[in-house]
Amino acid sequence: MHPPDDLDEYLRGDSALSRQYRRESAPTPAHALDRRVLGLSRGTHVKSPCLAPLAFAASVLLSVALVLAIVFGPQTAKRVDDAPRLVRVAAHSDALTNPPLNRKLQLYSSDPKLARAPSEWLADIAALRRAGRNREADAELRRFRSTYPDYSTGELAIRPQGHP
Amino acid sequence: MVRYRDGDADAFSTLYARHKGPLYRYLLRQVRNAGAAADLFQDVWSRLVANRARYEARAKFATYLFHIAHNCTIDFFRRDLKMRRRSDDLDAQSEPEVPEYQRPDGIAEFAEQQSALLAALGALPREQREAFLLHEETGLTIEEIARVTDVGVETAKSRLRYAIRKLKKSLLPAPIPGAQPLRTRTI
Repeated sequence: MHPPDDLDEYLRGDSALSRQYRRESAPTPAHALDRRVLGLSRGTHVKSPCLAPLAFAASVLLSVALVLAIVFGPQTAKRVDDAPRLVRVAAHSDALTNPPLNRKLQLYSSDPKLARAPSEWLADIAALRRAGRNREADAELRRFRSTYPDYSTGELAIRPQGHP
Repeated sequence: MVRYRDGDADAFSTLYARHKGPLYRYLLRQVRNAGAAADLFQDVWSRLVANRARYEARAKFATYLFHIAHNCTIDFFRRDLKMRRRSDDLDAQSEPEVPEYQRPDGIAEFAEQQSALLAALGALPREQREAFLLHEETGLTIEEIARVTDVGVETAKSRLRYAIRKLKKSLLPAPIPGAQPLRTRTI
């Protein structure tokens, strides 16, 4: 079918066909293409195999430091409770309507020196009423009247219904 | 390649210098388009770099490199075929969008710019052309060509035999007395 020596002669490597092919021009890739490929190999290559475990150890160390910073960091220390923001806002507005702790000495004192202005004192009594602390409000009202006997207390003397 | 796999970055430069010419010519003469050949050339080296950790020195490095190149060209021809079919389907009335090198006038111009041998090489069926290029550019044996192209040894041998028979004809003197092969520019 085929001349038996065609392929054998060619495979010996010195056929006229091979010689002619080698005489043809031999194009090579452009320099820009060379640079791209060589850059590609450098860009993704780890320079030394010793760097791989070091890089791994560094990333583990950073991760642990990050977790510790989140758990024990200064941001966490500032927060006194884990209550949601809505609850904290409610507590804040409650503090505005209720007498604050540092004013209790003045509130429960009958000493006229510690007594505040009548309007301020009445506002505190009203706050006690709103909080349902009527017994304290009554006691405070009595002290108020002894301090300011002529001052009208209005409806603060009336206990709301359903409260002790 | 083993040195490169194991972290010697300079070994890549040696590999590249040794194989860039044969690989480029293999791709250029397979796809017959300089732009496509440059893209494929970069793609082949990219795949080599990306898969270097999995490289095992079981055979000659050239068989590994040209197996990647073979797969890249197969992908290229498949994409090209799909693109042409889609173009035909979308607009049967208008002229389909085919690469310049595949248009009849482009092919004629391409053929005029090269020697009779390279023109005959370009006219070969792709598989026969590949077998010839693999042997000429890399010195691969028939067994190695079979491995690179994923065919049996007899198939590879048959492809190479047909290729050299057709190419030898291009070396014969032209039938018209005084006619010379056109060699204005070769690629």
